[in-house]
Amino acid sequence: MEKGYYLKRIIRSIFSVLMVITIVFVLVYTLVPRDRIFFNDDTVVKLGGKPDERMAYKYKQWQRLGYLTYTNMNQYCTEVYTTGSSAHEACVLAGSKDEKAFVEKYEADGWYIDYLPASGSPIAYKERPIVSRITEWFKNLVVIDSVNAVQDENNPDLERKVYFGKTPTGGLALKCSGCTHKYQLYTDLSFPFIHQNWITLDLGTSYPTFNSLKVLDVISASQGQEDRVDTVFENGHTETSACKMTSLTYKYSLDKLDKNKFDDNYADCEINKKDPSMIGISFIMGVIALFLAYGIGLPAGLSMARHKGKLADKIGMVYIIFIISVPSLAYIYFFKYLGSTIFGLPNAFPTYGAADIRSWILPCISLSLPSIAGLMLWTRRYMVDQMNADYVKFAKAKGLNQSEIYRKHIFRNAIIPIAQGIPSSLAGCITGAIITEQVYSVGGMGKMLPDSINAYNNAMIIALAFLFTGISVIGVFLGDVIITWIDPRISLESKEDGR
Amino acid sequence: MTNKDNLFTFADFDEKESERIAAPRYSYWKSVWRTFIHNKVTVTVCIIMLTVVIFSMIQPIFSKYDPMYAPNINDASMKFLKPSLQYPFGTDNIGRNLFDGVWAGAKNSLIIGFVCTFINMIIGIAVGALWGFSKSMDKWMIEVYNVVSNVPFLLIAMILSYVLGSGFKSLIFIMCVSNWIYVAYFIRTQVMIIRDREYNLASRCLGTSTWTMITKNILPFLISVIMTYVAREIPATISYEVFLSYLGLGLGQDNASLGRMISQYTTYMNAYPHLFWIPVSVLAIISVSLYIVGQALADASDPRTHM
Repeated sequence: MEKGYYLKRIIRSIFSVLMVITIVFVLVYTLVPRDRIFFNDDTVVKLGGKPDERMAYKYKQWQRLGYLTYTNMNQYCTEVYTTGSSAHEACVLAGSKDEKAFVEKYEADGWYIDYLPASGSPIAYKERPIVSRITEWFKNLVVIDSVNAVQDENNPDLERKVYFGKTPTGGLALKCSGCTHKYQLYTDLSFPFIHQNWITLDLGTSYPTFNSLKVLDVISASQGQEDRVDTVFENGHTETSACKMTSLTYKYSLDKLDKNKFDDNYADCEINKKDPSMIGISFIMGVIALFLAYGIGLPAGLSMARHKGKLADKIGMVYIIFIISVPSLAYIYFFKYLGSTIFGLPNAFPTYGAADIRSWILPCISLSLPSIAGLMLWTRRYMVDQMNADYVKFAKAKGLNQSEIYRKHIFRNAIIPIAQGIPSSLAGCITGAIITEQVYSVGGMGKMLPDSINAYNNAMIIALAFLFTGISVIGVFLGDVIITWIDPRISLESKEDGR
Repeated sequence: MTNKDNLFTFADFDEKESERIAAPRYSYWKSVWRTFIHNKVTVTVCIIMLTVVIFSMIQPIFSKYDPMYAPNINDASMKFLKPSLQYPFGTDNIGRNLFDGVWAGAKNSLIIGFVCTFINMIIGIAVGALWGFSKSMDKWMIEVYNVVSNVPFLLIAMILSYVLGSGFKSLIFIMCVSNWIYVAYFIRTQVMIIRDREYNLASRCLGTSTWTMITKNILPFLISVIMTYVAREIPATISYEVFLSYLGLGLGQDNASLGRMISQYTTYMNAYPHLFWIPVSVLAIISVSLYIVGQALADASDPRTHM
């Protein structure tokens, strides 16, 4: 019974993620004018004096980003004539007689025709249907590395094998030659101790901000100053380097420096930096705030319920009303002002950086304020509701003392709906906090969504929507699993009766 | 013995009197009103709220405040003035009268709060009542809800504001386009809880139509819950407008907005604290009083408190 339910639930979750991505695709690619993606592109500005090249560049970018497929005279002529022939050369020139044939051919196929502004040479393009783009996105989503992943013409004798070895720091590793990643599976001393590069997510390539970086690298790579340490490379070469050796990937064209350090073609690596990644910062901050929230909110809600109508309850209510009704922007600034003037804490995260504990105090507190209020409110509500239940009266009649009833009977029942929210809020930590992170200039995830929308970074928007949706779906699902686990009375399956 | 006899006399049988029903006449709304004005704190807060609301509706008519109009922009002596009799809240970084600006912004915030909440509640209650009542509708509506609630709202808001342009109508549209579904979901859960109570089963057995069931049996039961929701929703909407303005969305430059004011004046928090704290306090007074009055109204509208 339960297994069938979980299966259905997972299928439905996948369906909702799919629908969300579809909606986001439609919103982003049909409602936002496509010219706007060039607002932040320097190349377009540089090509300002060359209208033809600028237009060609735009079409090239649109094709790369999947808006359309386009073709120009150059490609057409190469198809029709052999390169180097005089007919080909005549065809490529602007104003040639082949242009008419080009226009006719593609118009007949239903393509749109556009003309370069200066030379008047035609360009044909066809919109790509949104459905094919979504399927392509999902098809490319999961990348599984294999021994035949690297196909390098300049290196035909590349050995293809998987073998056991050691990482430069002494951990065990499953290495690979022929794969994209050198280290497929390895152990080290940082959490979660066993890491893998075998299956990776490809969420697209960022453009125009963080140009041509992988989206996932943008949000998960460490930030700040390079963290250089003395490194011994596999061929014995020693230098201070920030290279993360376990992230080595295949590099197609090696330069002299690479050849100095590496014997094989695996020479591309991530750069170790001193500060945590965007996801990392948001997650650490969120988890600390979550601990604060549960550590303060639960006991406060408990004592509010125990002293219902008394002073503690009233003070708690004032705080809850303050947080619920005053806009978060206002009270975040208020607490920032308090913290920086009275306690002398830094009022911006970068003042001391991520390494200093003082930087974290104010943002974490301001992040936990609303969750404390919410937890207090609901804990109190559930406790008060349970207080009149029959089992409480029975426990009282048996002669249990107040604190025993509260701790062992009421609290255990009241905690159930609260426990349901824990996985969601834990997973939600990585999505970051928009206002808090902006007010304290924290380099976390919170600013990514508004920033990428403002910069028309479509790949980033879709990737973030996917991540956030996935996380929230998983969080809700785990929450439901947890409540059935701690309270056997609850069944997730609804009883069928028709109406 | 004789004394006792004198204590009691036979009453005459009065037909008129026997026909009268003993319980006092009960009017729902009168009882709501009576319970509401019973609490001194809420009446005080209610008066504060009404004063602020009426003042912010009337003052902008006389001041004709326009955020784009700054006649004193080149006059350094007019900038950052401290509050005085002529300028009760002082002047800002380009010499505009903060007093006029705050009330014009408060007016816009209030209108947005009320209009959006009204639209969301109407659509949400209508859909939610049907949704909770019909199980076949529940099956696909819950999927719609799963999908809609997972699209980041900020994404919808930002994209729509780029498509529709910024302004009053588009902001209201943005705040309503997907938010009604949360109201509907909330109402759906409430309806489901009381849908299968005995009195509703009995009512169904007697052949009551769905429409009558919803409007006469279920919704009156939910008034206090709905009022609680409204009490939270209006400040939340105002708060969200502030948030959107902070991100540069929301109302355009040509509309006064408390949110944009707050985000613009944060830089002067240390040098000219009045510029930041006055708009924040006005906003806080508005939303806190709205919340408290709404909660009191919610309590008063619960028939169980009418004793």
